[in-house]
Amino acid sequence: MPLADRWLALGLWVVLSAAGIAAARIDIFPPAGAREAQVADATFRLLVRLAAPVFALVVTVLVVTLARRRGHGDPPPDAVPGPEHPAVPRAWFGLTAALAAYVIYNPGLVGIHEMRGDPQADLVVRVEATSWYWEAIYPDAGVRSRELVLPVGRRVRFEITSRDVLHSFWIPAFRTKVDAVPGLRTVLLVTPTTAGTSAAHDAYRLQCAELCGTGHDTMRASVRVVDEETFRRWLRGRQRAAGPGRP
Amino acid sequence: MRFVLRGLAWGALGYLGGGPGLAALVRWMGGPAWRLETVLTVGYPFALTGWLAGVGLWDAWARGWFGLPVRPLPAAGWRRYLAFCTDHKVIGIQYLVTFVGLFLLAGAMALVMRVELAWPGRTLVGPAAFNQVMSFHGIVMIAVAIAVVLGGLGNYLVPLMIGAPDMAFPRVNALSYWLVPPVALLLLGAQLVGGFNTGWTAYPPLSEINPAGQALFILAVITFGLSSILGGINFIVTIARLRAPGMTWGRLPIFVWSVFAASVLSFTFTQYLAAALLMVLLDRQAGMAFFHFARQGTPLLYQHVFWFYSHPAVYIMILPAFGVALEVLTHFSRKPLYAYRWAVGGFLGIVGLSPLVWAHHMFTSGMREGLHAPFLVTTEAISVPTGLVFLSALGTLWRGRLWLRTPMLFAGVGFVWNFLIGGLTGIFNADVATDLHLHDTYFVVSHFHYTIVGGEIFALFAALYYWFPKLTGRLYDERLGRLHFWWIFLAYNATFLPMFWLGLHGMNRRIGDYPPALAGVNLFVSVAAFLLGAGVLAAVVSLGRAWVRGPRAAANPWQATTLEWQVPSPPPAHNFPAPPQVVGPPYPYGQPGLRHAVMPAVGGDR
Repeated sequence: MPLADRWLALGLWVVLSAAGIAAARIDIFPPAGAREAQVADATFRLLVRLAAPVFALVVTVLVVTLARRRGHGDPPPDAVPGPEHPAVPRAWFGLTAALAAYVIYNPGLVGIHEMRGDPQADLVVRVEATSWYWEAIYPDAGVRSRELVLPVGRRVRFEITSRDVLHSFWIPAFRTKVDAVPGLRTVLLVTPTTAGTSAAHDAYRLQCAELCGTGHDTMRASVRVVDEETFRRWLRGRQRAAGPGRP
Repeated sequence: MRFVLRGLAWGALGYLGGGPGLAALVRWMGGPAWRLETVLTVGYPFALTGWLAGVGLWDAWARGWFGLPVRPLPAAGWRRYLAFCTDHKVIGIQYLVTFVGLFLLAGAMALVMRVELAWPGRTLVGPAAFNQVMSFHGIVMIAVAIAVVLGGLGNYLVPLMIGAPDMAFPRVNALSYWLVPPVALLLLGAQLVGGFNTGWTAYPPLSEINPAGQALFILAVITFGLSSILGGINFIVTIARLRAPGMTWGRLPIFVWSVFAASVLSFTFTQYLAAALLMVLLDRQAGMAFFHFARQGTPLLYQHVFWFYSHPAVYIMILPAFGVALEVLTHFSRKPLYAYRWAVGGFLGIVGLSPLVWAHHMFTSGMREGLHAPFLVTTEAISVPTGLVFLSALGTLWRGRLWLRTPMLFAGVGFVWNFLIGGLTGIFNADVATDLHLHDTYFVVSHFHYTIVGGEIFALFAALYYWFPKLTGRLYDERLGRLHFWWIFLAYNATFLPMFWLGLHGMNRRIGDYPPALAGVNLFVSVAAFLLGAGVLAAVVSLGRAWVRGPRAAANPWQATTLEWQVPSPPPAHNFPAPPQVVGPPYPYGQPGLRHAVMPAVGGDR
């Protein structure tokens, strides 16, 4: 390969990598309504930055070889293969293994740790999935609701189960989900950080994300993240409406 | 045709005796009345036995075994394509035509879904029908992806490329193929008894309480699994034992290595899928409780067993595609394959790691959180052997003399670009912190379509164009080929790139309706999908025309070095007049004095 091609390739790789890394700054995400969403989005951006040089490398080789190394003739004469330096595959193997090890560590294992966060919660909400609707139960207040209302800033522990088939508890604005499994109580810890409602943005919706039959796509519940005062008022209103003695 | 009709007739007789007949006998003896599903399930093994016997096993195997006079099966002309023929080239064509046909059918189902998804709300089909269409698309495409390259091209090419007269077990090979029509019939017939609506994954409890179509789905998948296992054994033994003199493991064409690696996986892991589905069937019909939570079963167990096969399965799909892509890249760069031994190491590394990653499909399943980290580690480790395949591809392009014919466009541009995107987006799904959001969304849908369609199906097209002269003895139209490449490539990316955005923005998978805010992008995707469908159809039609009307091809129009090109196009029965003598590496381009093989008789060797 002529010297010029190597410099062309190096330049293209640097430019494409830089463009990819810069592109990770663009906000391509739906509203982030929870601490977990911030972790997920930051992880997503980091992965874009780490993937950019790899993507750029392959694209560079494609572009440079397609532009500069077209053979002429039908078929073209054989290429003149240079010596295969045994160091190149070894170096490639070492570098990719090191990169993989880094990605496994950060954001991989670090991300798991950050996503999990504080195991202590200050509000428990039980969630029951039934084909094809959701019910939220606030055991401390004795309230049962088809709408999920949460206070901003409190750590919520969702205890989720299903009464029939598999469902999956997913609020896109929170960037996390867990299946509702019959006979099992699965747990999801989330700290909502931003007020929002389904009416304002559909990322605030409780959506079933595991195929569960005919009503799967419309198995949604409205989600409202509100300030503490509004939340308390809502709970009291639901208690009055339900009357005494009902969970 | 006679044998197919006889197979159908014997199959019907077998079913009537073993299904309704046995049910009536049980009832007459005072037993319980069987449900329709049980009649169908019990009758099926009898129907399958009748079908196989009728279609050729009786003549090809049983008559001789029992000392009866053996009747010859059709061995020449087009009739052999509709008969139990043991010629690996016939079987390869049977696989290719069958699975390209099924690919078009399941692709049409994808377009039905795209009409429904073009606008929010109900458009064309109701939610129940949507789930059936989606599930049919899913399982048929999985079968296509498993068998079209491995079964079709593998069967046709492996014996030719290793210098063998046929596969090691030619009759088992024919049996593998003739197990496939019942699979297609079951999946279509299931639609008459309620269909199946659980995707291709068939998770219980839903798959234990839905209509009888689910039972036929299970029987179809188990039958297909049997075909897959038999094919796997056959490839392993063929490659291990039937290589021509001098064809050492280090001189095998890379495609043969990829078939070997994929066969190890299909031989080893397919039974886990069959076991998982058999347990669902027993839960449904025999009152067992493997996954039935109310009877102390556990639904999560199914997912573990299912993915223990189904993750290796994606490598059964993609490894032969890697082989095709590297094969085409090296011939069309007019250069030896770069880092051949590292690429083989990459294949074997993938084989070794693939059974250790299954639970990355289950980060949101509710399994113990402590399992997230180990499966993240093993999954991301697979990027290292996969990286070796990329090293080989890029190193081959570098310093090459690129011959930009249609196969090279599909492999060198299409496959490399698409699989790059598919591979890198896989990391977002392997990473727990991002996957908890992206799992079960269109991000995943797009990711696996980039690997399997953008990767494997583009490799399939590269292979169809590359080996077209060998398979058909005709030449395709190069200008149309290039046009179809650019058409399919652009439409493909226009269809699937926006799906990453859809998934990120809250569009979950397997839905017929979505929030109105996602409408614009969905309409764009649907329009692009129709362009893609038209492009694929146009390519297949033009290849079909060339097969009938194209100009005659010489033995070696690409001036390629491997053995399949050193025999006439199409090759004669038993391939080689005498075993070729392999004397050098498979791709001795630009290395004067080196050659791959010496042909025993007259022939254009290189």
